Amino acid sequence: MDIIRQRKNFISKLVFQIATIAGIFALIILLFSIFNEAFGYVIFENEKSPAEIYDSGIGLENASKEDLVKILENNISKGLMRRFNFDQSFETRDRENVLELVIIEVVNPTIVKAWALSTSIFQKKMIIETLKNDYPEGNLEFRSWLSLDFLFSAQSSIPEKTGIITALTGSLMLLLIAIILAFPLGVGTALYLEEYARPNKLNKLIQLNIYNLAGIPSIIYGMLGLAVFVRFLEPITSGNLFNNAANSTANGRTILSAGLTLGLLILPIIIINAQEAIRAVPKSLKFSSYGLGATKWQTIWSHILPYSMDRILTGSILAVSRALGETAPLIVVGASTFVAQKPDSIFSKFTALPIQIYQWTARPQPEFRKVAAAAIIVLLILLLTLNAGAVMLRNHHKNKKKG
Amino acid sequence: MENNNILNLKDLNVYYGAFRAVKDINLNIQKNKITAFIGPSGCGKSTVLRSINRMNDLVEGTKTVGEIIFQDRNIYNRNVDAVSLRKQIGMVFQKPNPFPKSISDNITWGAKINGYKGDMGQLVEESLKSAALWDEVKDKLDENALRLSGGQQQRLCIARTIAVKPEIILMDEPASALDPIATLKIEDLMKTLSKDFTIIIVTHNMQQASRISDYTAFLMTDENRSGHLVEYNRTSKIFINPKNKQTEDYISGRFG
Amino acid sequence: MEIRVNFNEKLSKLNDEIIKMGVLVEEALDKAMDSLINLDEDLANQVIAEDEFVNNLEINIEDHCILLIAREQPVASDLRYLVTALKISTQLERMGDHAVHIAKGTIRLKSNNGTDSIPLFGMQEMAGRVKSMLQRVLTAYVQCDAEEAKNIALLDAEVDRIHDEVIREVFSKFMSTSNDQQKATTLLFIDRFLERFGDHITNICEWIVYSVTGEHVELD
Repeated sequence: MDIIRQRKNFISKLVFQIATIAGIFALIILLFSIFNEAFGYVIFENEKSPAEIYDSGIGLENASKEDLVKILENNISKGLMRRFNFDQSFETRDRENVLELVIIEVVNPTIVKAWALSTSIFQKKMIIETLKNDYPEGNLEFRSWLSLDFLFSAQSSIPEKTGIITALTGSLMLLLIAIILAFPLGVGTALYLEEYARPNKLNKLIQLNIYNLAGIPSIIYGMLGLAVFVRFLEPITSGNLFNNAANSTANGRTILSAGLTLGLLILPIIIINAQEAIRAVPKSLKFSSYGLGATKWQTIWSHILPYSMDRILTGSILAVSRALGETAPLIVVGASTFVAQKPDSIFSKFTALPIQIYQWTARPQPEFRKVAAAAIIVLLILLLTLNAGAVMLRNHHKNKKKG
Repeated sequence: MENNNILNLKDLNVYYGAFRAVKDINLNIQKNKITAFIGPSGCGKSTVLRSINRMNDLVEGTKTVGEIIFQDRNIYNRNVDAVSLRKQIGMVFQKPNPFPKSISDNITWGAKINGYKGDMGQLVEESLKSAALWDEVKDKLDENALRLSGGQQQRLCIARTIAVKPEIILMDEPASALDPIATLKIEDLMKTLSKDFTIIIVTHNMQQASRISDYTAFLMTDENRSGHLVEYNRTSKIFINPKNKQTEDYISGRFG
Repeated sequence: MEIRVNFNEKLSKLNDEIIKMGVLVEEALDKAMDSLINLDEDLANQVIAEDEFVNNLEINIEDHCILLIAREQPVASDLRYLVTALKISTQLERMGDHAVHIAKGTIRLKSNNGTDSIPLFGMQEMAGRVKSMLQRVLTAYVQCDAEEAKNIALLDAEVDRIHDEVIREVFSKFMSTSNDQQKATTLLFIDRFLERFGDHITNICEWIVYSVTGEHVELD
């Protein structure tokens, strides 16, 4: 008997271990494929070689400012020249600045071939061969697709120049709106259901529905957002009612609509989390407050909320991180795929990180997959930061509770 | 029994839903004395205690029938506010449950919500002194109360209750979670406090009841599991010469 | 912080009652001896009447001890102390009774003998000795002083010695003539009661030693 029991024990342990290892393995593959894409060798080819436009022996990098201005005048249109001068006159620009203009506008290097990180490391010979044979004019360079330029550039149709600042601000504004809507509403509802509502049929029905809402596919929320915020409440969500419509033609497909939709999406999650947090407040704590002659509200405000706030916040942060990754409802509500300018108000058109990633992966140029990988890394870092914040918050409050 | 009643329980019945937890209790509680409720588990002694400051209101499905006369009115009258009643009839619980705040905040909070306008520092000192805790904590009033030992926490809870200046203090097995020495300290404290307050204590510990109380009420369950009062008398009578056979069996450990 | 303050207060109250009882017994002995010396019948009757106080006090002390045992669950030295108090109160009550017996002897002597003074031999000295032993033993009890108790018990030997001497003297003086035999018997009884005082005190000493050390000893 004992041997059979021990064997059973051993087998079940083995199964669980295999399951865990499989999970970790999947995660590693995921991370590998992302990082594999985000870094690697690229070959640049110049539209005009530096030697061609500047033939003194010292090389373009060391040319004087006057020479560089001359090169610009010779190679670009008068109109473009005027625009640059208008932005900042050439007298006040320094040499580095003019050199940059020359490189971007005249030399204009473009990526003609890019490799993944693994190829770059293990098949460098092949890469050099390719460079020699197919791109004799090209320059080989190791490139990190994730860079500060990438973070702070607006969208562009050229892969090496595009950036995620529009999507990033879009995402952050969406989250802010969603939190402003869902947090007070969610905590309030949870307080009502836990502390005030009597367990009658109606309240049980409400409770059941909240549980169900938390499980509804997010695209349904998208439909709701489309019907209610985009269509029905268009005067408000487009800003027309406040004479504040952005000069874009958003027509209700604004950050506000999408943020409210995401808010509704995370509302049930926040409610359920907050309810559990409030339920976890020891009865003895409540009773001691009532025992001192405190009213319900005094008890809630001074004891129940402070005691449960860490769990409420943790749950809310996790809900928010879910909202950060949501794509479907945003598509339905009408996220724009291409927004060249940062959104400047809640009535602007918008795009968000997951939308942007989806859109880049759908492009035909292979370089955009690398851009998408870099954006995914940004998204993951944001998510991890939020979750780490949740953990830290929980530990902080746990220590406080322990005294 | 001398007539110095502060609280009269008249035909008190408490129901949880359809279940009658407490049946026809009639008791007069003496002012500035310690009254102990003893009896086997489930005999309704805690229920009776909680009905005295209407703590049972917080338990869903509780119904109280009968009267508890305090200051010439039935506390279950419609026009009596349970919240302000609880300021006059304070409560100390089984498990020490200080607020997860500083020691002084624990004391001042109750006073603050009840509109105390005086000097808070003085209130903290007075209350802690009355609870025989001042000397142990006077140098760490800003420390979190949860860092104190169990016995100190319970004395802090008593200090917190005193700070609201109630007439009656209800104690629901206040020492059952404490070690013997901490228990004795709490008992001494109760003796001292009974000079200024009326104390009603529920305890599982008969020796504790015999040590500290002036009056003892013995409750028991009947065949329907409803708790009722078997005997109520001076503690010395109950523990040396009980009138009822059930009381004798219970206190001598032959039953229960 | 000091704990069980309440119990300690009640214990010291009990002490007071025992001291009070001891003082009453001492007074009774004093008065009984005075009545004997002066053949004062009124004083003797007073001693007999006042014994009720001693008896009542014994009941009080017993109740007090039972109450404390029932309510405070004393253990170890506290328990021994309370049991000792019970025993001491019994011994003191007996001593009170002996004082009454002496007073009754006085009355009998008076009715037989009229106002003629009666020789008391060493009995006055015995009474003085047991009185001082009684005073010392009560102090030893309150102070839980086992050494002092043992010392006091040693003094009983002297009382016994005088007791034997008194017997011899009474025999030699009165037994020769038959009409003095009743007087002699009474005197022998009184002598015997005084000797019993010493024995009771010795018993108390033994209980004090028990209270302090937890060991039963024989101290005679």
